Amino acid sequence: MRRARGAKEAALRPADLTPVARDVMKGPASAGLIFASFLAAYLFAVLPWSGRWLLARPDFVLLLLVFWTLHEPRAVGQGMAFALGLLMDVSDSVLLGQHAFAYVVAVYGAQVLRVRIVSFHLPEQTLHVLGLTVVASCVMLLLNLLLGADFPGFGYFVSPVLTALAWAPASAILHSQAVRRRREATP
Amino acid sequence: MIREPPPFFHRGPSPLARLTFFTLAAIAVMIADHRFHALQALRLSLNTFAQPLQQVASMPSQAIARGAEFFTTQDELLRENRELRVKLLEQSAAAQEARLLKAEETHLLAMSPGHSRYADGGVLAEVLYTARNPFTRKVIVDKGLTHGIKAGMPVIDGTGVVGQVTNVGTFTSEVTLVTEKGQSVPVMLVRNGLRAIAVGSGKDGTIEIPFMPASADVQEGDLFVTSGIDGTYPPGLTVAKVSSVEKNSAYMFARIVAYPAAAVDHYRYVLLLPLAPPSPRPETLEEEARKPAKERAPRTRREGGGAAPR
Repeated sequence: MRRARGAKEAALRPADLTPVARDVMKGPASAGLIFASFLAAYLFAVLPWSGRWLLARPDFVLLLLVFWTLHEPRAVGQGMAFALGLLMDVSDSVLLGQHAFAYVVAVYGAQVLRVRIVSFHLPEQTLHVLGLTVVASCVMLLLNLLLGADFPGFGYFVSPVLTALAWAPASAILHSQAVRRRREATP
Repeated sequence: MIREPPPFFHRGPSPLARLTFFTLAAIAVMIADHRFHALQALRLSLNTFAQPLQQVASMPSQAIARGAEFFTTQDELLRENRELRVKLLEQSAAAQEARLLKAEETHLLAMSPGHSRYADGGVLAEVLYTARNPFTRKVIVDKGLTHGIKAGMPVIDGTGVVGQVTNVGTFTSEVTLVTEKGQSVPVMLVRNGLRAIAVGSGKDGTIEIPFMPASADVQEGDLFVTSGIDGTYPPGLTVAKVSSVEKNSAYMFARIVAYPAAAVDHYRYVLLLPLAPPSPRPETLEEEARKPAKERAPRTRREGGGAAPR
């Protein structure tokens, strides 16, 4: 039984396909996994960060939004980004709408660059994600500067860099989880 | 002839259309929140939804803090106890004097209509965490709507004014510190009664006293207390201690920098004072005055607010 499945998988080896085709052919990730990943990211975000640690806090909610926009574009998109952004605004007690705006812009970038990003390997993907996270941070920074806040220093850009660096481990974990769950689901 | 795509290829509006829509929505939300302070209901409901999750997230660090507290040495406890005893003695004299003044004030208020200008009771709250926002200086405390907290209530600690409640959730509320940029408190110089406004500078935890003429009599080490003319802060609470006065004849105003008197960044418990009642309108005052004394209703000085009887 196991051997038969192995043979079948060997016949349809993902490596023979283009990355885009591989992406199109795979089954959808379960809604439970998407929800659990966002829950974990949110819990991480609302740890009692303060001072320098706050500046360095990686934004896993944004990272997951980008990840799921790339891999599950029909499940996660700008609407979800907006809603989660509002939630982050409330829990970080900042002006309502600024995370929402930044997330929507980043997710739009991910949607437009989707085919391009998924055809790259992890290092190049990380660079693309870095672009998106920096854009999101700049959107929030500009909004706050417009409202009269002071520039918090260049330490502010530690967070988007760390977020992008977390791309490789995060996507490795999520891919393995998604694949495992899919295997379990198919008899 | 252009045909609609079959329904299983139909994917709704294009990303750009969605972006436009959500951008406009975000801008509308920001304007509504910033300009009109609308959307309190949305904030409140989202906050109520997120509250249990935040509590779960803050559990590990709280457990660590409690654990660390448990293992404090006896030596430290003894030292702290001694310090507290000295402080208690120092303050008991002031408290007795205050009690006398309070009695006098009650007596005077009973004779003429008016409200007490001094704070009465308050709600003790624990600081849960610093707001996770690198642009502002706010803390979150563990009392909210269910404890009768209202936006605008002054917040003090043992040594002075910490800030003001700016946002109230169901079980928590947000306190903007006096050092936040643009957060202002009407103050008075203790030494000569000079009135001014203390404004948080937003940098290095300092407070500025803007628009003081260069000729004003302000010296290093002067204490500023709340003047009470705003009707929000009760008078007499220590706000700031002047650390430097720079008088340059090229400018019209002196540059005065002060440090907050309260331990604004490191405290655990704060007191949320009830809002001062709105000052009575002149006509009602006149009416009250015309009534014979025995008909006058005994004044209820504050409604709600959990004021503890003294």
